[in-house]
Amino acid sequence: MKPLYDLIEKLLKGPPAKYRGVMGIYYFVDDAAGAVRVLRQMGHKQMSVFSPVPHHDIERALEQGPSLVRWVTAVGGFLGATGGFALCFYSVTSYPLVVGGKELISLPPFVVLGYESMILCAGISNLLGMLALARLPQVKTKAPYDPRFTEDRIGIWVPCTGDEAEKVKETLRGHGAEEVHVHA
Amino acid sequence: MSETLAAHAEPMRRGTQVPAEAITQKSLNDDVLRMISKPGKIWWAVLTLDLIILTLGLIAERNQIVHGIGSAGHTRPVMWASYIVNFVFWVGIAHCGTLVSAILFLFRSHFRRAVYRVAEAMTVFGVLTAGLFPLLHTGRPWFGYWLVPYPNQRNLWPNVRSPLEWDVFAVTTYLTISSIFFIVGIIPDAAVARDRAKHPVMKLILTIFSFGWTGSNHQWKHFYGAYLYFAALATPLVLSVHSVVSWDFAMAQIPGWHSTIFAPYFVAGAIFSGVAMVINLLIPIRKTFKLEHIVTLDHMEKLSKLVLLTSTIVAYSYLVEFFCAWYGPSKFERDMFWWRATGHFNWGFWIMFTCNAILPLSLWFKPVRRNMPVLFVLCLFVNVGMWFERFVIMTGLARSFMPSMWDINYRMSWTEAAILAGSFAWFFLFFLIFVRLLPAFSIAEIKETLPPPMRGRKAGAHA
Repeated sequence: MKPLYDLIEKLLKGPPAKYRGVMGIYYFVDDAAGAVRVLRQMGHKQMSVFSPVPHHDIERALEQGPSLVRWVTAVGGFLGATGGFALCFYSVTSYPLVVGGKELISLPPFVVLGYESMILCAGISNLLGMLALARLPQVKTKAPYDPRFTEDRIGIWVPCTGDEAEKVKETLRGHGAEEVHVHA
Repeated sequence: MSETLAAHAEPMRRGTQVPAEAITQKSLNDDVLRMISKPGKIWWAVLTLDLIILTLGLIAERNQIVHGIGSAGHTRPVMWASYIVNFVFWVGIAHCGTLVSAILFLFRSHFRRAVYRVAEAMTVFGVLTAGLFPLLHTGRPWFGYWLVPYPNQRNLWPNVRSPLEWDVFAVTTYLTISSIFFIVGIIPDAAVARDRAKHPVMKLILTIFSFGWTGSNHQWKHFYGAYLYFAALATPLVLSVHSVVSWDFAMAQIPGWHSTIFAPYFVAGAIFSGVAMVINLLIPIRKTFKLEHIVTLDHMEKLSKLVLLTSTIVAYSYLVEFFCAWYGPSKFERDMFWWRATGHFNWGFWIMFTCNAILPLSLWFKPVRRNMPVLFVLCLFVNVGMWFERFVIMTGLARSFMPSMWDINYRMSWTEAAILAGSFAWFFLFFLIFVRLLPAFSIAEIKETLPPPMRGRKAGAHA
């Protein structure tokens, strides 16, 4: 089994990635939020913040708007409802078979199928929208990842090079970073 | 840094949910991930027993396929026999997960965070079990795809005006959405487990389930953006699915079935049995894995209050059905309800009434709600009672309009009994694998209830 395990480990590790930027690792949420605020004022808008849970302080500092996934969901729901009703209309008219003397086009039972189709397509598009917007599944990370980000540490990654990297490093240090790593 | 951690590792405080010992972000990871370490002897013993029962069910199903559907106890006029009972029972069980994960999420009931993953898993596995029964009942399950509308050269379509076709749409939608909800919710927790997995195969499995999650602000933003909409979509879905299931009966003009109360009555019954099943699953899990500080007595008490609430709705529905039969104009309806309580299957009715309407009244007393062995036994009774509720509805067919059909000869055959037992084994097989493969408690959401570490100002728990 060892060759198989080695192959899996090699596969999971992937090729060595090159990153250009500075990573600051924090324990305290308010320190990280303060650093984010200052870095944004310095013009670093493309930063990423990694954390085990979302923190409102950091979200506010990042000035993130609401996710666009809701529009994808709405479009999916609309298409699902339309498709569900269309299926009902088409299926009863393409092979007309009167059952119990009832109208072929009977809206009340069609509502059930239209409604369920709406929920189904809205749910699937919600999933696809989320995966697309959050860039998941993610095979290659855009920043050096640390397993502590799923435990209790917060990481601030600022893509930058040269003198800029030095300034960012100092800023992160000055705002209580436990560790600062420069990737050049 | 361990000093810093210790200094800020305050106990979780949210209302009455104060656990006995302090939980930190790290200890939470360790406690939950302990469940997916190497399984012990008890797990293997339970799995072996489960597989034996499942084999028995498979043998029964093989006999049914070889000798025909007559080997089940289907008898005119009780042609649906126990398969519809099992189907409705398992769909009902499946309802609690969405209630706990979606409805309580929308209502911001924080106690759900400690229990919702188990409830969601139960939902997915419950629907997977429920979906077996319509297929098994066809006698030729390999033609199950005929239920789905698809273009074919004969231009044949399922009857979209039939409640049975509504069921196909409702149950498949429910299975799809609840599975998506379950898998999406697991993503951040699978990443936690992935980062700590040592075995390469486990690491590979968890990498797949984590979708390469890194916990970046972009990912969290879209994750919670989508999660809210999953909850908003799942909430009306859960109410509609069991309503549609109830219409399998209520749309038919059969005494005892043709009633508008069926939809709300079925939904309440589904939540009732589902919450009882969650309690039955959580009590052994929290005990076996020593997680009493994560799933606290307060959590269990809140769940038992849900059982009590839904029990009163179900009991009210039983009484209203009798009242409507007495007050209404249909003598067939009156006769049916009198027969239910006094006729051939009256034992089923009284088991149902005792387990669902009388025994749960003990939950008015706090010591009962907080006594885990008593609560466990009580919830087992509730599930027995809820199975019998559907049995009582189904056996009503034996008392149809024609007195010539009143020759009661329905008996559950061993084939049906074995398939019923096999369905439990099928459900628990998934569950046993789940608790050993993926985090059974939402690490990320429980972490949100912990006070975030703050240097400058006093830490407060997240909303």
